[in-house]
Amino acid sequence: MIPVSWRRIRLLIWKEFLQLRRDKLIVPMLLIAPVLQLFLFGYVVGSDITNLRLAVLDHDHTTQSRQASEAFTSTRYFELATTVETEAELTKVMDGNAAVVAIDIPAGFGDAVTKRQPTTIGVIVDGSDGRVSQIAGAYAAGITAELNRDLYGAVGSSGASISRVDLHTKVLYNAEMRSVNTMVPGLLALLILMSTSMVMSQAVVKEREQGTLEQLFVTPIARGEYLIGKLLPYAMVGLAQITVVFLVGSLWFRVPFRGSLLVIGAGLALFLLCSLGIGLLISVLSRTRAQAQQLVLFIQLPQIFLSGFLFPLAALPPWLYLVTFIIPLRYILVIVRSNYLKGSSFLELWPQFAALALLSLAIFAFGLSRFHKQLTD
Amino acid sequence: MRRALAIARKEFIHIRRDPRLLLMVVLLPLIQLFLFSYAVSFDVKAVPTAIYDQDHTPMSRQYIDALEQSTYFHVTGYVNSDAEVDAEFETNKTRVVVTVGHGFGNDIAAGNPGQVQILIDGTEPNSAQAAQSYSAVLSQLFGAKVAIAQLQYKGADPTKVAGLTTTTRTWYNPESRSANYFVPGLIVILLTTVAIQQTANTLVKEKEQGTYEQLIVSPIHKMELMVGKIAPWAVVSALEVIAISVIGILAFQIPFRGSVALFTLGTILYVICCLGIGLLISAIAPTLDAANLIAGLVGILPGFMLSGFIYPLDSVPPFLQLLSYIFPTRYFMTITRTIFLKGGGFDVLWPQFAALTVFAVVIVIASSAAYRERA
Repeated sequence: MIPVSWRRIRLLIWKEFLQLRRDKLIVPMLLIAPVLQLFLFGYVVGSDITNLRLAVLDHDHTTQSRQASEAFTSTRYFELATTVETEAELTKVMDGNAAVVAIDIPAGFGDAVTKRQPTTIGVIVDGSDGRVSQIAGAYAAGITAELNRDLYGAVGSSGASISRVDLHTKVLYNAEMRSVNTMVPGLLALLILMSTSMVMSQAVVKEREQGTLEQLFVTPIARGEYLIGKLLPYAMVGLAQITVVFLVGSLWFRVPFRGSLLVIGAGLALFLLCSLGIGLLISVLSRTRAQAQQLVLFIQLPQIFLSGFLFPLAALPPWLYLVTFIIPLRYILVIVRSNYLKGSSFLELWPQFAALALLSLAIFAFGLSRFHKQLTD
Repeated sequence: MRRALAIARKEFIHIRRDPRLLLMVVLLPLIQLFLFSYAVSFDVKAVPTAIYDQDHTPMSRQYIDALEQSTYFHVTGYVNSDAEVDAEFETNKTRVVVTVGHGFGNDIAAGNPGQVQILIDGTEPNSAQAAQSYSAVLSQLFGAKVAIAQLQYKGADPTKVAGLTTTTRTWYNPESRSANYFVPGLIVILLTTVAIQQTANTLVKEKEQGTYEQLIVSPIHKMELMVGKIAPWAVVSALEVIAISVIGILAFQIPFRGSVALFTLGTILYVICCLGIGLLISAIAPTLDAANLIAGLVGILPGFMLSGFIYPLDSVPPFLQLLSYIFPTRYFMTITRTIFLKGGGFDVLWPQFAALTVFAVVIVIASSAAYRERA
């Protein structure tokens, strides 16, 4: 084994940066793309489900029924799109996508309230939109619970008031329940995965495509040196991207940071290792850049879906839930989010760190070993 | 026409020669179909919940029972001190801690409201939102039950206890199956990805490999070349739509309630839009990398984010809503979902069809102009 020469590695890194600079597109892309993604994720994925178009079908037309429909439309969750008079009209409105939620106030509603008889409001949800159909019911239930207190609580002193429980609800760590507060920490990890494995694999496959890989190997550069020289620049690019996202997240989206840079840094460093390993594996498996690109997508998609980044893991069927345990993104997401918002430390997060370290080292080592084999072909 | 066909045949040979690419174009959609149909769901059932019972009376027990029986909360454990509550949150074991206060039973027996505190971990806003709403509903139902019992005990008329309830009906997808809304959406997304990305690649590739000059000096007319290059991807896109629809309908039991003819018309219009976008990119992009990148940015991001596929556009800030009107994806998303799930016809979908037609005309003119000039 030839001793590692730092001078050769330095030169390789220099070459890699030269190449990066010469590609007019790649540098702005590497720095602009994460910001663009952050904005899209922050504003689209991170936006809370509000302003859902609501249709009101009021069969009653009394003060009470108006109070009920106002209870819905005055929240930020619903926005009055239209009022309809008949069931048929409502069907047309929902079919034509003019409203995604509707409330149906029955005739005699106001009467029932004054006479203190039970009554019910129908909530109709458009089931063709997943997100809406899941959350609108919860919103409606919450609004009705409050409305119930307003309509019935105020009237009775006869002991028939049903507010037997005084509920004090407090939301911790993210009091306004802003989705973007969860999204930004998660994006730190996701961006590493997306860009590092992509750029890294593209760079290696490009050299193979252009035949410069062979040229490099007839030089005295050892394989280890080549790998370090190739990996380090992209690790640095990853670091720059994280910094940009972190700054934009804190300054523009005002995501509070309650954690420690040490914990987040350690977690992301481990995860970077894992992403580089994936990049190496992809570059070994692909002959052309188009293939590498498809393969990256192929590997990333299941990770995004099965990590809890976008969708709650609790809703997965049990056998798929088992699969999530081998997905590194799952662990880094818990680490980054908990540390970012709750300030959790190594003490609470050690199981995630242990799992992440194990998986990252395994993936990186595997990528390294396959890469080695490929070069000796 | 004969020459365009020859180009198309050459293109098919290229596709066939790259088996890995072909595998990805076929396999990737299948994986997505599978993931979206089985894995992805927004259900916020079974939020992990810990109980802190400070009261230890039959009444507090009854309240906790009501909580345990609901499908929204999944009681994972009991804690006995504030320190334990903190630990539960910091280790991510629970998302909700319900504290039943001292004197809960006595208060209720005396006719006063009992005190309950709900602590919710806000780091997962969706489950936090649901936990907040459902705990309110649950407490109300519990209160009603207790009130009825008390009135009966006193010999009063229990129907005096009245309250407001809601009944929720989910139209078009009564069981809220996630496959029902994801699979039609996925057709749109996959079509967008394949059609834009591959057309964007096709011309640039020839330019990079230097074979483009060879084609230009041959007797092929530029427009014949363009048609010949694009046609194979139009065929692949169409096959993809048919394949996913058939798999979705047969294997995942997705309802198809609308008209096949209308859906076909919409698909043709949308494929024209996508191929036009791809061609425009191909004409403008200097390198293959650039073409891929731009295709990713204009095709895939707006497709996923600004189409209403996952995230309702109602909730997006106004400037992004405006942006979403520029891309054709949102119109085709509405068309697809409405036809599949609602069985809506042209009478409700005409605005979307009009928008798609306008976009298709504009993009075809723009891309052929750009192609004539740059290529």
